[in-house]
Amino acid sequence: MGKWERRGRNQQLNKAGTIQTLYKKLKESKDFLVYHHTGPTPCVISYLKTMADPKILNESILPGLKNADLHSLEKIKEAITVENISITDQAEKIKEKVLQGYVVIQMTENDNQVLLIPASTKVGRKVSIPEIEFSVVGPKEAFVESLDKNMNLIRKRVPLPELTVKELSIGKLTNTRVAVVYIDGIANEININTVMQRLKEIDYDQMIDSSYIAQMIADNSNSPFPQLLDTERPDRMTEALVEGKIAILVDGSPHALTCPTTIVEFFSASDDYFMPWHLATVFRLIRLFAVLFSVLSTSLYVAILTHHHEMIPEELLATIISSRADIPFPPILEVIILELTIELLREAGARLPTKIGQTIGIVGGIVIGTAAVDAGLTSNVLLIIVALSALASFTTPVYQISNTIRLVRFPFIIGAQLWGLIGVSMVMALFIGHLIKLQSIGTPFFAPIYPLRFTDLKDAFIRLPFNKQTQRPIQTRPLKSERLQPSDANKKRDIDE
Amino acid sequence: MNKKRQSKIDLHVPENLLVTPFFVFFLIHAMQLGVGILSFETYIARDAGYDAWISLLIAGAAIHLLLWIVYNILQNSKGDIVSIHEETFGKYIGGFLSIIFSLYVLLLTLTVLRTFIEVIQTWVFPQLNVWFFTLALLLLIYYLVAGGFRLITGLCLISVLLALPLLWLKFFPIQAGDINNVFPIIDHTLVELLSSAKTSILGFLGFELLLVFYPFIKNPEQSKKWAHYGVFFTTIIYVISAIIAFIYFSEKQLDQVNWATISLWKIVEFPFVERFEFIGIALWLFVVIPNICLALWAASRIPKRMFNIRQTYMVGIYCLILYVATIMLDERQQIKELNDIANMIGFYVLMYIPVLFLFKKARDKVRDTN
Repeated sequence: MGKWERRGRNQQLNKAGTIQTLYKKLKESKDFLVYHHTGPTPCVISYLKTMADPKILNESILPGLKNADLHSLEKIKEAITVENISITDQAEKIKEKVLQGYVVIQMTENDNQVLLIPASTKVGRKVSIPEIEFSVVGPKEAFVESLDKNMNLIRKRVPLPELTVKELSIGKLTNTRVAVVYIDGIANEININTVMQRLKEIDYDQMIDSSYIAQMIADNSNSPFPQLLDTERPDRMTEALVEGKIAILVDGSPHALTCPTTIVEFFSASDDYFMPWHLATVFRLIRLFAVLFSVLSTSLYVAILTHHHEMIPEELLATIISSRADIPFPPILEVIILELTIELLREAGARLPTKIGQTIGIVGGIVIGTAAVDAGLTSNVLLIIVALSALASFTTPVYQISNTIRLVRFPFIIGAQLWGLIGVSMVMALFIGHLIKLQSIGTPFFAPIYPLRFTDLKDAFIRLPFNKQTQRPIQTRPLKSERLQPSDANKKRDIDE
Repeated sequence: MNKKRQSKIDLHVPENLLVTPFFVFFLIHAMQLGVGILSFETYIARDAGYDAWISLLIAGAAIHLLLWIVYNILQNSKGDIVSIHEETFGKYIGGFLSIIFSLYVLLLTLTVLRTFIEVIQTWVFPQLNVWFFTLALLLLIYYLVAGGFRLITGLCLISVLLALPLLWLKFFPIQAGDINNVFPIIDHTLVELLSSAKTSILGFLGFELLLVFYPFIKNPEQSKKWAHYGVFFTTIIYVISAIIAFIYFSEKQLDQVNWATISLWKIVEFPFVERFEFIGIALWLFVVIPNICLALWAASRIPKRMFNIRQTYMVGIYCLILYVATIMLDERQQIKELNDIANMIGFYVLMYIPVLFLFKKARDKVRDTN
């Protein structure tokens, strides 16, 4: 019952009715101006002061009205030197345009026929450098909140007529513009249709950020793993588009989504492509190792110290015993205390302004850590492990997956406490099974591991040189898979040739 | 043939649930390699002594032959075991045989599950809380089986990828062992070798599940070579494991060892870790889980095909049976008996495959002449 009522009210909010009712509603707001223009051409000018550009009003519209006596909207339309002027009597359209900042001209106040003059202005931030996905070399532009500016950033990188932009508006109240971008002829229609279909099915009142969409169109919304890759880098998005992926941009969000994606893509950084391939490969492998370390290290500590202390070699055992001798807690409690401390520091650091946040990080790390060891709450060895695993989780190039790693750790710790290494294996099997089942826009998320795609492994755990990247990844099922003619690229010269 | 019967035999699996022929390699291999490999060395050496690796080769060859027969049966019928039984023996006898097959696969599942828990009890946690551990393990298995055949195939792949590195550990016993243990080669009679081959063949059980998952293979004709590669790979792994156990243990010593492969992990030593068998057993979970999942999936698939019951319910019922049975079998002797019974029935099932082939051939001939 409540749901129906709510839906009814929403519809009422959206319904325009007549121009008179619209004006009545708008006049309740202080920034809506209705101005009776006198002089040679008497008419009524109305607009939202906060949305319309006063420059256009003053320099193009008002001078046009002063010139001669114009007695119909058509005449005025000819006299004003602004493009895209239209005449309409549809209340729905007028409402939409007024709210965007258009200037409305009527001959008399009760006329239904109106002239709509585009004069909107938008306040927003300038294009700045990427802060979350920073890279030392490479382009330094990041998306901003304005959809049009973001499209500009993409179009200038992909000057192709095939770059297609489909736009729809989502959110019953916010009417947010959402753009689906892809390269026609490379991106597979099945993927495009899936994305469009899911976007059309979204039924929600607001659309604040692209992360809303990421959660709403995800194949499995109960999974801790993000199934759409979000990026703030136009260059990274260009790469994705060229590979045949689809991008989703939301007006008001500085993060674009690309899909379909795979788990390994979350661990590939833009830097990997700006460096020679062998360096990139080594660093990518280090990053993957760091992720495994971050997820498993504390649970292995719990498993080994609680259940399998026979595994520790004699020499190492002395070190561990001396550091744990005064600790009153079992390993599991010790680990949970420290992990929670680190999570606390992280949350505090993320909520506080940058400068205070840094201080908290340093103070927290050094002071609390040392104090905990001195107080005999945790051991030195564990402090090192936890600090390293926290550090390791920051090496992920995509912010979202680092949050997943934070969370995924805890089931492993519980498994380790219950059945040692076998418990860790069981949790691992659970997550591997989950990942195998997971899909991103209908394509397997765990590729290229399963389904095993040998050709896609060239840019998964390792990155081969560009002249070996002859094919686009199969994962996206591109319509054109060839990137370059392999015969020229891979020809090897004999000695002295 | 009436229409109703046609619809039952002509089973259709949606395209997106099929797996490529290549994965049959992993399916066959992962199903054959279970808990048996952890202890088989002792048993095969009882008859043929340290010539038993030859028996393994004989057994492997026999399995290749049986696999060829299985493919022959399947290729001519384009169905699975349920439809083949129905075509060959009619609705009632065929149905009965299918149920027997389903229960046999369930018994295999139980054997693997219970034996693995026994390994954990013996080597890792003597005080293991069996009812709680089994509950957690079966919940995990239920979740995985509910993910469907594609997920299980993925687990088979992962299991091979994770278990393969364990082969490197065989290097440690080679260093410590004596190669002369294996010589002289062939000082046993053919009868002894064959009797050992009969024991060895039990390690290859599991490939017969192909009779159930065959309709899930895309272009199944092409999967034939991958299935044979899978069996060949299993044979190689068995032979390597056997020879290395023979190199390390003397013949009399081996007779006293219960879990030869695990004992060999025990001698592995790195500067940062000792007692490697804990890691070995934990990793072995990834070998056992696909094994259990695939068998449970196959066992529950048969009633679904026969009576159109939802497979989810069947998996639930079978999990419950497994759970109760696992808890009831709590003595070492019972588990040994369970293994013996499963092996005996498994051997009969292997014998049954050629019989089924002959019956089906005869039936096809009769139908053709009509």
